[in-house]
Amino acid sequence: MFARETVTLPRDRKVQVYRAGQGPALVWLHGPHGIRKNDPVITELAKRYAVVAPLAPGFHDVDELDEVRDVHDLALHYDDLFEVMGLEDVSLVGHSFGGMTAAEIAAHVPRRVRRLTLLSPFGLWRDDHPVADLFARPYMALDNILWKDGAPAGPMADPANFPNDPVEKTVGIVQGFTAVAKFVWPIPDKGLRRRLHRISADTLVVFGADDAFVPALYADEFASAIQGARKAIVADAGHMVPYEKTADVLRLIDQQHDARVRAA
Amino acid sequence: MKFHWFHLMPYPYLPDDFKEKYHSVWVDPPAAELYDPVKGHQVYNDYLDQLEYAEQCGFDGICVNEHHQNGYGLMPSPNLMAASLARRTSKAKLVVLGNSVALYDPPTRVAEEMAMLDVMSGGRLVAGFPVGTAMDTAYCYGANPATLRDKYREGVELIVRAWNERRPFAFNGKYTQLRYVNPWPTPIQTPRPPVWIPGGGSVETWEWCIKNDFLYAYLTYFGYMAGTSVIDGYWETVERLGAEPNPYRAGFLQFVGVADTDAEAERLYAEPAQYFYNRCFHVDPGFAAPPGYSSIATIRKGVHSQVRQSAQQVQGKLLSWKDIVDRGCVVTGSPATVIDRLNDMADRMKVGHVLLLLHFGNMSHETTLYNTTRFARDVMPKLRHRFSEWEDKWWPKDTLPEIQRPAPINIAAE
Repeated sequence: MFARETVTLPRDRKVQVYRAGQGPALVWLHGPHGIRKNDPVITELAKRYAVVAPLAPGFHDVDELDEVRDVHDLALHYDDLFEVMGLEDVSLVGHSFGGMTAAEIAAHVPRRVRRLTLLSPFGLWRDDHPVADLFARPYMALDNILWKDGAPAGPMADPANFPNDPVEKTVGIVQGFTAVAKFVWPIPDKGLRRRLHRISADTLVVFGADDAFVPALYADEFASAIQGARKAIVADAGHMVPYEKTADVLRLIDQQHDARVRAA
Repeated sequence: MKFHWFHLMPYPYLPDDFKEKYHSVWVDPPAAELYDPVKGHQVYNDYLDQLEYAEQCGFDGICVNEHHQNGYGLMPSPNLMAASLARRTSKAKLVVLGNSVALYDPPTRVAEEMAMLDVMSGGRLVAGFPVGTAMDTAYCYGANPATLRDKYREGVELIVRAWNERRPFAFNGKYTQLRYVNPWPTPIQTPRPPVWIPGGGSVETWEWCIKNDFLYAYLTYFGYMAGTSVIDGYWETVERLGAEPNPYRAGFLQFVGVADTDAEAERLYAEPAQYFYNRCFHVDPGFAAPPGYSSIATIRKGVHSQVRQSAQQVQGKLLSWKDIVDRGCVVTGSPATVIDRLNDMADRMKVGHVLLLLHFGNMSHETTLYNTTRFARDVMPKLRHRFSEWEDKWWPKDTLPEIQRPAPINIAAE
């Protein structure tokens, strides 16, 4: 069970922030599923880190999106949050939508982020290898494109924080996807390529080799545009790589973010 | 009751195996493969002839609408159609249902074009402002579904304000910033043409229509029996807000096929109806509900977008003529049967404006004219008296300044 608190930003904006574990601070920016109770990646990270996992604007309440109109507002929203929480030299890990967000934060306010891991991020576009249209399929069919074998793993299969109510379950999914759509519709390319050079963090880009949503060759697109960035491709995994290959991804995160591991 | 002749302008040459072979009738059916512009020339001209014929038959309004990249709606610009009709008709009101406001930057373009239509037609315009379906807006025009409704509302407010205020103003909106709002021409109808809002069953839309004195039209392809619950919700909202329960503040769409007997009805209308429901309505469900398109309140109410609901109803099924008639999608039969059913509709729904689809699917030109004639001659006069005790405040007034129609130029005489 993660602790949850409401952090208030200037102009009375509220952010839901989950916390778990002890150790060096690590900020986790979630993907399109939001943060589910018993999220297995956060659970594992909490064994080594003090994980700080804010819920992206709109995931708790779509009205939060009124104040956050574009990716620039989104990046500054997190800068405000880190300021209020006293987080400097941030160690930042983002998955999927959270990966894009993490890249935007590190590009908008480079001095805020010290170490960065982007797990299957989107935000770039190639005409010859387009990102799949996540929004042109029924919600029930999304797993087929997000998971390599089409079926969600572990606790992600059963979103326990949705009550046993199909309407509330739909509301939960729609809120999250509305938030994602707001920042990437209709093509997830809002100029990030023009900003990636600004990132000064030590950066690692990770993709599942069989990502059917964002093709793994986007790892090169990100890594080549960010100074000194490295990439890692995880075999036999799709877009949900941190959930599909949790041990492999944790090892990569440790190498990137844990000074104890790097020193060893 | 008022009767309006509504054309969807479907493309009537989709192949027999369309549903098996193609992904969707909307958004991505390959145009160059499926659409033949030479046939299209005949189709447009037949369809415009049918709308003009409806005026001759005495229909109150003739209706056009807006769809994009759609095999059953060949009017990406309804204003072009209405402009043509403005010149070729003189009595029927032009019900443009309408312009999807959020797709126009700036939305004052809509204020300009609609005022042009009102002036050209001598004050006969009804200005319809739909949000637009998910397919039209989010997928075909790339509009962000998370902000679509907010942008739409702001756009409608800007247009109405541009018509109401009689002097230039600055508009600093969330989606549109204009230093000088001052559209030319102004409409003939003062302060503005009646505004109709075609919508699905969303609570916010009902409240907004009532507060702004807009007509609410429920456009479903599944007939009045299925549509009654939605209209009931609208009338409950009217009552809750203390507005007048005037039937003319509501509109409803109904397919109708008139014949001498049930057997003749089947012979004439079964094929075009099945063409519509089984080919034209083959919309991929992935295009029906982008995130943010329906508000959270609407989802909680369990009322999904009408298209999504409809798509689910027919998804994977082939509807027979009997299914179509039994579900009430098409009201059909002898004049006595049709009168009886439409009286039942009037009793249940209390809707003053009936939008009739007397052409549907691949109905031939001849059958369309026949259906139109029979409805006008044998049905319409028997229903005209319904709701005559109410004043229709959502319709162009005939107390306009005298409009002098230009005399035709007679070249031969010179």
